[in-house]
Amino acid sequence: MNIKSIFDYRLLGLTGSILLIISQFFSWFSGYSLMERYIIATSVDISNAFLYLFPLISGSICLIATLLIYFKLEYRINSVIVNFVGFGFFLIFIFELIPQEIDYITSAGIGFYMSITGAILIFFHNLNILLTREKSKEGS
Amino acid sequence: MESNFYYALGHDLRRRIIKIIGDNEFSSFTALKKELKVSTGTIYHHLDALSQLIEQGKDKKYYLTELGQHAYDSLQDNIESIISPDFSKKEFNSPILKSLMFLTPKKIINYEKGYKIYTVIFSISLLILGLIFCYLNDLFPILLFFTNLFQSFHTTNLSLEIFFNVFFIINFLLYYFINEIICRLVYKKSENSIKFFLSFSLTFYPTIIYLAIRYLFNELYLLDYSVISILDNILMIIFQVWALWLLTFNLIVNKHLKVENALIISLIIHYGGFSIILALSI
Repeated sequence: MNIKSIFDYRLLGLTGSILLIISQFFSWFSGYSLMERYIIATSVDISNAFLYLFPLISGSICLIATLLIYFKLEYRINSVIVNFVGFGFFLIFIFELIPQEIDYITSAGIGFYMSITGAILIFFHNLNILLTREKSKEGS
Repeated sequence: MESNFYYALGHDLRRRIIKIIGDNEFSSFTALKKELKVSTGTIYHHLDALSQLIEQGKDKKYYLTELGQHAYDSLQDNIESIISPDFSKKEFNSPILKSLMFLTPKKIINYEKGYKIYTVIFSISLLILGLIFCYLNDLFPILLFFTNLFQSFHTTNLSLEIFFNVFFIINFLLYYFINEIICRLVYKKSENSIKFFLSFSLTFYPTIIYLAIRYLFNELYLLDYSVISILDNILMIIFQVWALWLLTFNLIVNKHLKVENALIISLIIHYGGFSIILALSI
């Protein structure tokens, strides 16, 4: 069986975005998942509550971007641009959250590590689809 | 017929003969010899090979046949697309790229002779506006990101204060040099450095609009509202993506990079900038 046919290069993006989405429901810091923190935050300070939904939004946008190239390979550039938008949400979230939670970073839950892995996979997925196009052009 | 056509175009000297005749509408043997700087025998050999593409008139001059004219047109189109693939005139089917291209000031980034002055004026104005809005928002720029990490650094030291306030321009120069170095070292593209530099501040054009909007929100105390606060974050993401597209476009038209390679540069520098901010904030 050809390994290449199983490990389609688009799987990186798919896995990355799914990891980002499900990380929302696993514990991050202090044993709470982001969804729980969102629910708690809405009852206290609604202005910052939406921030806890950013990984979910980011993962969903990146998932749409990855599905876009499953739908049509020619949409690779579009997919990268949509990924830029999706990834932007995650960057803002990390940028706002990390300075607040820096003291607890050593005891971070599985959700945090899942999201970081997901983000790295999406980054490499973007690089990969841009480089793959290059290779296929040169090959033809 | 088809094989003759491609055989005729398969030699550099024959392509040059067609180009000389096509450019001048006709050419004498002496003019061809003077232009090509090769022996008489070589020219006769190639003229024979071009028998279906050129013809000799009663005045002994060489003219293009109908097929020769097609060959000339085809050569012109191909040479132009190889030397300068005009990305700014490219038609896109996807709505995302269509809207991004619509929002791109193509004539200012890819300026022609005589329009350089407008690009320079526009670039300087953008730098001044960026400087002002960064100061008004009390934000510190790092590549395409803005941070308020250095708000606590306000000192009585005048030179340090000036450094923080003009950092928008230092950031512009830093961003330009990172791009230029990557183009030169990784992709071996050293052309159009001045043109790239003059239009580089256009990359910051969307982020300056964002800073202006943010200043407005701040002045009207709208950032205290949750919806506006979220909107502010979303706007930053959208304007950053727009800025990244402008950088990509600039790299394509001025450094003649392929879209994929230009996007790789934008992507790596952008996330590199984020890593710096994150490291500083920790």
